[in-house]
Amino acid sequence: MGQALQGVTVVELVDGFWASLGTTFMADFGAQVVKVVPGGSPVGGLVKAHRDVPPEHVRFLYQLVGRNKLSAALDISAEEGQELLRRLAAAADVFVSDWSRRDLQALGLDYESLRARREDVVYVTASGFGQDGPDADLPNLDELAAARTGLMPILPQPGQPPVYAGHGQIYGSGLLLLGTSIALWHRERTGEGQWVDVSLLAAGIYGATLDVQAYLAMRSERFLRPISRYDAGNPMSGTYYMTSDGRWLTLTMPDTDRYWPRLAPLVGLDPADPRFDSHEKRCEVNRLELIRLLEEAFRGATADHWKRAMEEHDLSGDIIEDYSYPANDRFARQNGYILSLSHPVMGQLDLLGFPIYMSETPAALDRLAPCSGQHTAQALRSLLGLSEEEVVGLQQKGILRV
Amino acid sequence: MLPLEGLRIVDLTVWFQGPIATRLLADFGAEVIHVERPQGGDPARGVRTIRAVPVGDWNQYFLVNNRNKKSVAVDLNQEEGQAIVHRLVQESDAFVTNLAPEHLRRWKVDYDHLRAINPRLVYGMATGYGRFAPTQRPAFDLTVQALTGVMARLGEPGEPPIYLGMGSGDAMGGLLLAGGVMMALLARRHLGRGQLVEVSLYGAQLYLGAPTLQAYLSTGDDRLRRQRSRKEPVNPLNNVFASADRWLVLCLPNEDAAWCALCETLDRPELAADQRFATARSREENSRLLTELLDDIIASRPAEHWLSRWRERGFPCAPVNTLADLAADPQAWANGYLMRAYCPEIDQEVDVPGMALTLSRTPGQIRHLGPELGQDTEQVLVEVLGYSWDDVIRFKDKGVIL
Repeated sequence: MGQALQGVTVVELVDGFWASLGTTFMADFGAQVVKVVPGGSPVGGLVKAHRDVPPEHVRFLYQLVGRNKLSAALDISAEEGQELLRRLAAAADVFVSDWSRRDLQALGLDYESLRARREDVVYVTASGFGQDGPDADLPNLDELAAARTGLMPILPQPGQPPVYAGHGQIYGSGLLLLGTSIALWHRERTGEGQWVDVSLLAAGIYGATLDVQAYLAMRSERFLRPISRYDAGNPMSGTYYMTSDGRWLTLTMPDTDRYWPRLAPLVGLDPADPRFDSHEKRCEVNRLELIRLLEEAFRGATADHWKRAMEEHDLSGDIIEDYSYPANDRFARQNGYILSLSHPVMGQLDLLGFPIYMSETPAALDRLAPCSGQHTAQALRSLLGLSEEEVVGLQQKGILRV
Repeated sequence: MLPLEGLRIVDLTVWFQGPIATRLLADFGAEVIHVERPQGGDPARGVRTIRAVPVGDWNQYFLVNNRNKKSVAVDLNQEEGQAIVHRLVQESDAFVTNLAPEHLRRWKVDYDHLRAINPRLVYGMATGYGRFAPTQRPAFDLTVQALTGVMARLGEPGEPPIYLGMGSGDAMGGLLLAGGVMMALLARRHLGRGQLVEVSLYGAQLYLGAPTLQAYLSTGDDRLRRQRSRKEPVNPLNNVFASADRWLVLCLPNEDAAWCALCETLDRPELAADQRFATARSREENSRLLTELLDDIIASRPAEHWLSRWRERGFPCAPVNTLADLAADPQAWANGYLMRAYCPEIDQEVDVPGMALTLSRTPGQIRHLGPELGQDTEQVLVEVLGYSWDDVIRFKDKGVIL
């Protein structure tokens, strides 16, 4: 059957989590991804993750973003190591890096230099803020990008600190997959390579696109400040209500005409109650009164009660669960969103799985995240045609770790 | 030249998750034909308010998410309407939908029907919960996000959990679906046939919390699934702080040198010698105390004071912007993340989100905003599908097309 990206070789020089995840998506679908680890890097080259992840947990993140990849460790402080890196990059269909353009230039790995060696390379940069503009050289940090998209101040309730959620960068991982695929498609048709840039700022704006485009069009102050849950535009949609056991229920019933006859009896109200007998009354005239009554009603029973009630009455609402829910959700495993594997060192390990299902060329877990340098010799032999003696010679000079 | 020119995609989608997937491909030149019901079309055309603010003279929700597309209005409840779509599928490379399976079966546009008609077709499907689902209820972004656990860990303890933003899950699902469709098109070259690609809101949104969720899955560390006050960060030097006039983001590593340098910029060099904060470990252990101390100092001066000092030292830092700041951000404009486009509805140029991907040789373009309902029906039927004008008139008379 084969895999979707079989035959595509990717060489990556990547430190950060989000760019690594982007190439993991490629590796999951059969691309041969060689992760170049500059000598001495910790946990296979992954150094930046997420501020809420304690440093001692980073090795587990590497299990996710290192899987299905090969690891080649080179000492790039030496010119000979740098030249090997350039040759590896030129041997690949796709070169991916999240290093700064200054560092890439110093290594002779800027787009023009690499293109001089390989005309049709698909050159992919995972940057912080894009390749143009006054701030193109700001560091590649998701928080700096998140601070610019305009979402942080409006995510929480009024009076609460702005929220850094950390999801903006994950759109970047997906954009790396999409951008690389589009460039490969173009190359297959025309033979032309190109430079693909995905930035954290672009990713953050993309993820916030509904808010961004609404503000750009409407320019309302209501998009600049948090909106209280007691001031929701529709009491039955996008709202949060606490349950008797201190958990939270959320509702999404934009079309209230459709859901009100089923919801009203559950919360002890008459569907024909004249205060709420039209969408306009529920969402405009008596909106605040309805929010108050729902607040009171939902506090009257447990989260489990409401979860069941929503399901039984075919209503779109659910309890806001924590990570223990997906961790124990058999459907998450059945769909392949979470994988269980047995790791020779770490033992039983649950890993985020494959968010894209393909019926004929499915993603597969072919190998666990490699040790740093596990495939150095293999990559140099297969991509550069180096002989066994040459590899041993380089190893003795300390250029390689194998 | 656009890289996806020559690809034809039938787009039977509504609202956001489906439409954004095909829009990402339309931006790069795919001919996307949005098939809509003659009565009112995609329900997104009917959006009247967002955050309780009236959308005004042009409905950006529909027009931006469906830009660069054609619109064909066909009644799929009629057999002749189904036949038109089947003929269109014969002439197309991909079919993308986010409608419920029962509708797809009823209208004979489910995967099994369409692959029998065109074995080379890539069939992209956006669902709520995946192929194996705990419920058959319709899926909405927020209600599914509630299950993933990404919300429950955000917000100050006791405050409601945090939704990642309007359409935040749909945006991830749609992005991964676009990536999956592109991979299936690449795979078709060696496979010789199309396949089913499926992405769910649930699976995609699990990834929005990838770093913390993966760390939780690996360690079961409860701190990762619960709300954590900003006053008790893992790294107290990496946080949001309220200056006298606005919130700031500061991203320093929890390292002694960074801490000493920060103390200098705060004009409190003596803190560097304070035993309670002398090592990374002690700063983490005393994070509440340290955060409160930093809060007091930083609140005493306006943002510009701190930003200029911190930037001088090369500290990664930024003000927390609003959507209004983003709308004026030169970096976003310079890289084409925001663009201007002509809007016929109001006969003037408008600001819209631009391209999240920068392709140097084949950049994406906005050729036009979303189409009028059914505006391309005749052209597609006659020029692409070879129907005669007599057929077109007959279809119109019967209400098969608009």
